[in-house]
Amino acid sequence: MIKTLGRYLKVWWLMSRNSFMGMISQRLGASIFLTGKLLRIGFFLAFIYLLLKGTGTLAGYNLNQTIFFFLTFNLVDIIAQFLFREVYRFRPLIISGSFDLVMTKPISPLFRSLMGGADIYDLITIPPLIVAIYLVGRSLGPSPTHVLFYVLLLINGLALATAFHIAVISMGIITLEIDHTIMIYRDITNLGRFPVDIYKQPFQGILTYLIPVGIMITLPAKALMGLVSPLGVLLSFIVGTAAVLVSIRLWNFALTKYTSASS
Amino acid sequence: MDKAIIVDHLVKNFEVIEKKPGLAGAIDSIVSPKKKIIRALKNISFTIQPGELVGFIGPNGAGKTTTLKILSGLLYPTAGFTSVLGYDPWERKPEFLKKISLVMGQKNQLWWDLPAAETLELNRAIYEIPKKEYEEVVSELVTLLEVGKLLNIQVRRLSLGQRMRLELVAALLHTPKVLYLDEPTIGLDLIAQQKMRDFVYEYNRKYEATILLTSHNMDDLIDLARRVIVIDEGQILFDGALEELVSRFAKEKIIKVSLSREDDVKKIETIGKVKKISFPEVILSVPREAVAVAAAELLQNFPVSDLTIEEIPIEDVIRKVFRGGMRRSLQK
Amino acid sequence: MSLKKYISIFKISFAQEFAYRINFIMWRVRNVIQIILLFFLWTTVFSDPSKVIFGYDRTKILTYVFGILVVKAIVLSARAVDVAGEISRGDVSNLLLKPVNFFKYWLTRDLSSKALNFIFSAFEIVILFLILKPEIYLQTNLFLLVGFFLSLIFAILAFFALLMITSFVPFWAPELGWGVQFLVIVIFTDFLSGGLFPLDILPSFIQKFLYLTPFPYLIFFPIQVYLGKITGTVLLGGLLISLFWIFVLWIAMGWIWRRGLLIYRAEGR
Repeated sequence: MIKTLGRYLKVWWLMSRNSFMGMISQRLGASIFLTGKLLRIGFFLAFIYLLLKGTGTLAGYNLNQTIFFFLTFNLVDIIAQFLFREVYRFRPLIISGSFDLVMTKPISPLFRSLMGGADIYDLITIPPLIVAIYLVGRSLGPSPTHVLFYVLLLINGLALATAFHIAVISMGIITLEIDHTIMIYRDITNLGRFPVDIYKQPFQGILTYLIPVGIMITLPAKALMGLVSPLGVLLSFIVGTAAVLVSIRLWNFALTKYTSASS
Repeated sequence: MDKAIIVDHLVKNFEVIEKKPGLAGAIDSIVSPKKKIIRALKNISFTIQPGELVGFIGPNGAGKTTTLKILSGLLYPTAGFTSVLGYDPWERKPEFLKKISLVMGQKNQLWWDLPAAETLELNRAIYEIPKKEYEEVVSELVTLLEVGKLLNIQVRRLSLGQRMRLELVAALLHTPKVLYLDEPTIGLDLIAQQKMRDFVYEYNRKYEATILLTSHNMDDLIDLARRVIVIDEGQILFDGALEELVSRFAKEKIIKVSLSREDDVKKIETIGKVKKISFPEVILSVPREAVAVAAAELLQNFPVSDLTIEEIPIEDVIRKVFRGGMRRSLQK
Repeated sequence: MSLKKYISIFKISFAQEFAYRINFIMWRVRNVIQIILLFFLWTTVFSDPSKVIFGYDRTKILTYVFGILVVKAIVLSARAVDVAGEISRGDVSNLLLKPVNFFKYWLTRDLSSKALNFIFSAFEIVILFLILKPEIYLQTNLFLLVGFFLSLIFAILAFFALLMITSFVPFWAPELGWGVQFLVIVIFTDFLSGGLFPLDILPSFIQKFLYLTPFPYLIFFPIQVYLGKITGTVLLGGLLISLFWIFVLWIAMGWIWRRGLLIYRAEGR
């Protein structure tokens, strides 16, 4: 088991390293991109700050809490993008017929299709983000239990993101419709920049249970603030685990439907 | 105006920033970039009469395409004088652009996701072609190129050959007087190539258009170009009739011998360079001046049943041109 | 006579958008979702409808939010985002060979895209209206409405030049085209023109600095005119400054274009 893990880790590192090397050669362009993404976060933070300076609270949350929701959103979003960049290349992989090659290699095609296109520039933004989360989170004075819940629910949130990406590429094998679906996913998770409490029903219900932005992003942050019971954490985990299992089932089903079509 | 195209002492240089490999090199090339000058055209001159069909040949990177791009106004000349139909190409005046066309093998102007008919309509509006004239020309082109049934199919769904024929229709529907063809037969199968050549010949004859064509395909040149201009490393090495190129270049002639019985090959090698042996035929190449003597020797010392003397085939000449082997031969 | 040329370009550009229907719909969906976020955000902030913050009451702020949807569709949607790629790949040669003005061509294609986006945004506003039922401020002052339309036209022209200038980067650095466009057009323009929040929530020294740039005149200024928050001589002054920016940006655009052509390699065959 450990050996398999080690092997997969090595493969992941090698795939990512190739990706990194390609990017080093486009250094300046990528730095501009990175600057843009960082500025976007910065501008939005400025917006939140100014907004809360004017209104005091947002749906009952103060400035630090609101910023904490936003930072948590960014963490989940960036980690998911960092891990699953390869999904954006899935469609060309299928269309060109290269997926056949993937299937015949002794590495799980699911792993290969999902990960391995990691973008080094996302990696750069993650540590400062974690530091920021730590600083802001600490100011909210959470108990160790709450911090534990936060981390657990973050992992759960990433599991949900993983389940979603698996589902997308599964559907992609059958329908070839991937990029647009991912775009919609990104757009809807973007609604998680603010706590889902701001949305009125029925939107709030949809965002919490149907397209679980609420469970992925709002809930972990709420856990840190002591607003989630152990039962809530447990239930979320059940949802997360179920989602991953279902998505893997879906993937295996999709493989049986794979028609190796090259042009 | 007597000449269609005038090129006088044309020079074109490109400035390139040298990129060194590795990460350190990448940073270095931004901080202190080292510029290198590439001399693509080193003082070339030629003139072309209206209605001529001229072939530009030379190895890759010789400057053929660069010349065409300058003559169509895309590239800015570093020095020298160019005039096409009395206009300065660089000014790209609308009246000038309406009279020329540049067809580059892979550069598509047809809108990919729409039927070709849409692009044709657009071009009609852009070139401001009166409806009657437009319909006549398009119908002729479409017939000549056999693309009638393809006009209303999305361009993305057509094969390469079909697309290229439609690209030609789009490029010619304003009946340009000067036509630049850059590798027109590249990527086409043999039959399509022949059709393309036949079409170019027809167009030249019918519309008395001046045509400049670059190609690596020797059939294109043999079939179409009476006059060729050889360019290598930015300089013109030869400008004249195709036959003249052969006789000027060919320092040798070919002797074809048929032997009535097998003989020692080594002995034949003393007379000339053996190019091919497949009994009973032997093919030798021999310096021009020595051909009579060599023929006499063969007849005297070998069991010859037949003997002919020929010029080196044009293909070999042109092949050598493409490989860049001309410089030494033509520099006297 | 030459109007026909541009009508033809407008039509084919319109047809082309339909070839990428799904991409276009996705683009509209993304815009709508952003508006939904802003709508709920501000509704929560103004849960008490009589509250006034930053000089806005609920009606005015929600009108601003819906204003973003429409104004962005009119001012910021552009086909000319393709230009950077065309220069990188050498596809722009096709256009240079034709007897058509480069800028008139792309402006026409932009207008075609804006028309389509505007139609959709109007449609989306109606749907959102029916679902969310907000109170919206309707401007009735004719003078202000005329000012609003003028400011939109000026915004379109200014943004066009700005987009073109960033799109010319590939003449000198083909790899940077996408990055620079992302930075300037997607990030800077969205935030600094008031595409996310009204600029008057910013501290005044930052506002003063922003007003030295053309950005506020793209989205913020037109919506403020519509809301009636800018009137009289201030309105006329703003329009004049808009014109000034158009003048400066168009001259820069033409100059950079000519310099770019001098070193253009026409490559990418």
